[in-house]
Amino acid sequence: MAYTYGTPEWEEAFKKMTKERIEAKSKPFIYFSPEWVGLWEKLLQGDAKYKEVAKDWEGVVVLHVLKNPDCGVDQDMFIHMDLWHGDCRAIRYVPSEVGKNAAYVVTGTIERWVSVGKKELDPTKGMMQGKLKLKGDLPTIVRNVKAVLRLVETSAEVGGKFPTELSPEEVEIFRKMIKDMTTKFSIT
Amino acid sequence: MAKINFAKGAKKAGLAVMMADMIKANLKQKPEREKDLNALNGNIYLHAEDAEVDMTMVFKNGSLTVYRGKVGDPMISIAADSVTLLDLANISIKFGLPFYFDARGLAILWKLLTRQLKLKGLITHPIALTRFTKLMSVR
Repeated sequence: MAYTYGTPEWEEAFKKMTKERIEAKSKPFIYFSPEWVGLWEKLLQGDAKYKEVAKDWEGVVVLHVLKNPDCGVDQDMFIHMDLWHGDCRAIRYVPSEVGKNAAYVVTGTIERWVSVGKKELDPTKGMMQGKLKLKGDLPTIVRNVKAVLRLVETSAEVGGKFPTELSPEEVEIFRKMIKDMTTKFSIT
Repeated sequence: MAKINFAKGAKKAGLAVMMADMIKANLKQKPEREKDLNALNGNIYLHAEDAEVDMTMVFKNGSLTVYRGKVGDPMISIAADSVTLLDLANISIKFGLPFYFDARGLAILWKLLTRQLKLKGLITHPIALTRFTKLMSVR
């Protein structure tokens, strides 16, 4: 049965799936897998530094991960962060029409996000180089640049296995997992 | 509304797009700063040293054209790491002038003194620099 995005049933089922996967899978989790996103959410919710620097931030930030079939990601993924004055209320995958229309969207290839995760690419530098594309009101982002940077830093602190480093067998398992998840949660 | 144009290839340059977007959004939120853009005439060059990207803003008769790379002989040149360039956009404006005596302003002055921020044109074009700082500032 597919859940309709935005309904309480969707939210409940998504939380249940994430919790079960966190318990069932062994670390390191694969970047952008539901268990990895769940871990990131937990880390951000307990991050005192983020709470401090993001106290003026309100609104949704979406990480737009461009598809890369070689890594098992056959469709673009939109990771939606519901952020409010230092609180991370939730991090979820969302359908593309929701993700694309968020107030702030940062877009990059999986390789770029991996570089950010490995701390090889500083996000500010990446945006100035055009490696990460930003959509949204830039003055607001610049006023809150420390919050945005902390957000990205925490994603690197979660750690995990990078999709670019999976074996061919792992890529196929990851591909199937994403396909099943996007179908079940109507996030195509 | 001031005209902001992209020279050929500039739309692919992240720094050029960011600066143009920032000035556009600033003018929308603070239309009184349009007079600063109208009064600027000349080239301003920005170099994000760590990102190895640069751009030039050409102000002429109330319009702005952004270019990737260095164009002409800039009246003002600013070189710093990418985070410092964004810090410049966080300078407060008080009584119509950039204010350097709060934490953000003092941090900029320190970077200037320690050459982490390299600024050419401070002495020769102080009014243009003030106007440009106001255009860039998101405060």
